[in-house]
Amino acid sequence: MKRVVIPGEMVSDQRKRLGGNVFVSNGKIYSKVLGISDESDEKASVIPLEGKYFPQAEDVVIGVVSRVVFAGYGVNINSFTESFIPKSAMREDLRIGDLVSSKISYVNELREAELGFPRKMFGGDVIEVTPVRTPRLIGKNGSMLELLKQGTGCDIVVGKNGRVWARNGNIDLLRKVVMFINDNSYKSNLTNSVEAFFKAEGIQINIAPKGEKKVAEESEVLDAGSEESEVLGGAESEELN
Amino acid sequence: MTEEKIPDYKKDKKRVDGRKMDELRPISIKVGVLPNADGSAYLEWGQNKVYAAVHGPREALPKHTQNPYKAVVKVNYRMTTFSVPERKQPRPNRRDMEISKVLGEALDKVIFTEQFPNTEISVYVEVIDSNAGSRVACLTAASCALANAGIPMRDLVAATGIGKAFGELIVDLDKNEEDAPDAVDIPFGIMPNSGEIVLLQMDGLLTKEEWDKLVPMGMKACADVYAVQKKALQEKFSLSEVSEKNVEAVIEAKPKQDKEAKAKTDAKTEKKDSKAKKVRK
Repeated sequence: MKRVVIPGEMVSDQRKRLGGNVFVSNGKIYSKVLGISDESDEKASVIPLEGKYFPQAEDVVIGVVSRVVFAGYGVNINSFTESFIPKSAMREDLRIGDLVSSKISYVNELREAELGFPRKMFGGDVIEVTPVRTPRLIGKNGSMLELLKQGTGCDIVVGKNGRVWARNGNIDLLRKVVMFINDNSYKSNLTNSVEAFFKAEGIQINIAPKGEKKVAEESEVLDAGSEESEVLGGAESEELN
Repeated sequence: MTEEKIPDYKKDKKRVDGRKMDELRPISIKVGVLPNADGSAYLEWGQNKVYAAVHGPREALPKHTQNPYKAVVKVNYRMTTFSVPERKQPRPNRRDMEISKVLGEALDKVIFTEQFPNTEISVYVEVIDSNAGSRVACLTAASCALANAGIPMRDLVAATGIGKAFGELIVDLDKNEEDAPDAVDIPFGIMPNSGEIVLLQMDGLLTKEEWDKLVPMGMKACADVYAVQKKALQEKFSLSEVSEKNVEAVIEAKPKQDKEAKAKTDAKTEKKDSKAKKVRK
């Protein structure tokens, strides 16, 4: 059963596999954050409702160039520290305020992220959302993202750091739908209701049946990210014991 | 001048403001009130009114304040000039700095600071109105704001004042009771789930027997505070399904306003354009 838990609230009093955002004290499992706990028989985890971006390897992020020095560029990825892109990695010259999309290749023990495969983004708009709610914008197997792309006709890149980049298409409509998803991220039946909304607007949607490998790379990133968090969560709670 | 009659709680069985000995003043908390902060809370506790805002974790500056092993929790407790009967000098005084320090240490205990090396978590608590017990009100509000910011924590912090006045052990002293001739005032903050004490100061003297009686009273009162905190944090999120009407209502309500606004601005810009054209002509 799903329920909203607050920090320090017990998630389970039984031994279970540890998911994200939980810790163990005296053999019982407690939540670390304000979030939703979804109890299953073998695993205890909490999905956070609020929070800043926590960089993890393999995340696709959208950065803003904040500093230009001789050797490269300082990039704000909405994390605790600035990341750095050497000039040798970029074909184009960057200026302050330019947008860069990148995949985090490595995060060190000080939570400093190293960016791999940086690409300059030309044009487009950025919509800022709560970072922990971006999985809802992508949906299972990228279903929500596909829906947004078809419904608004935009090219969309969802950065896991809470920045959504979009170009072409109906960006005003996209902004409203994205903010709606952001505000209702903790509710169920989101994808269906957004689909119904687009249909009511008279926009043709034909989603490929689930399981087909038609979705963009972002969805794979989401899966990788969630696995990563499981591994991390387990390691951290072991340290605590 | 006529001397006011000093109340005697042993005889009256009731406090000056009509409360029972172990009764709190009414508390209400609202979270997420300040849009520019990462997390925030507004708390009313009797006459006390407090805002708490959390920023971070963010890079700690100046750099020498950074700790490569953990995050630094910085609390800024300030009273507005109009929060007390006599104007408070806005310059931070000894009391402000002391309270900032003890609140910071209390919150440091509950936050998983080791997850955020080299960063600082700033908590700003501003007292808008006060009537004794403002530091426990601030601590209660600050822990709600931290939870609202999504910062990983072991527990919330629930706090209350406990002590003695007019010959009886009481909970949540107000200004009258704090100024009583035999007053003992103890700000008391705990982690409600584990019962660990994170804030404890004392002004006055108690016997050991009194102390042993008082601590359970404080624990019970903090549990009441915790219930209010929990409700405030949870009530924002109700786990219902999104209905189709819901979506259409929210998304369609906005474009209409936008259209009106756009029409207005368009009209304005057109006027401006035409004016500019005229000028050019």
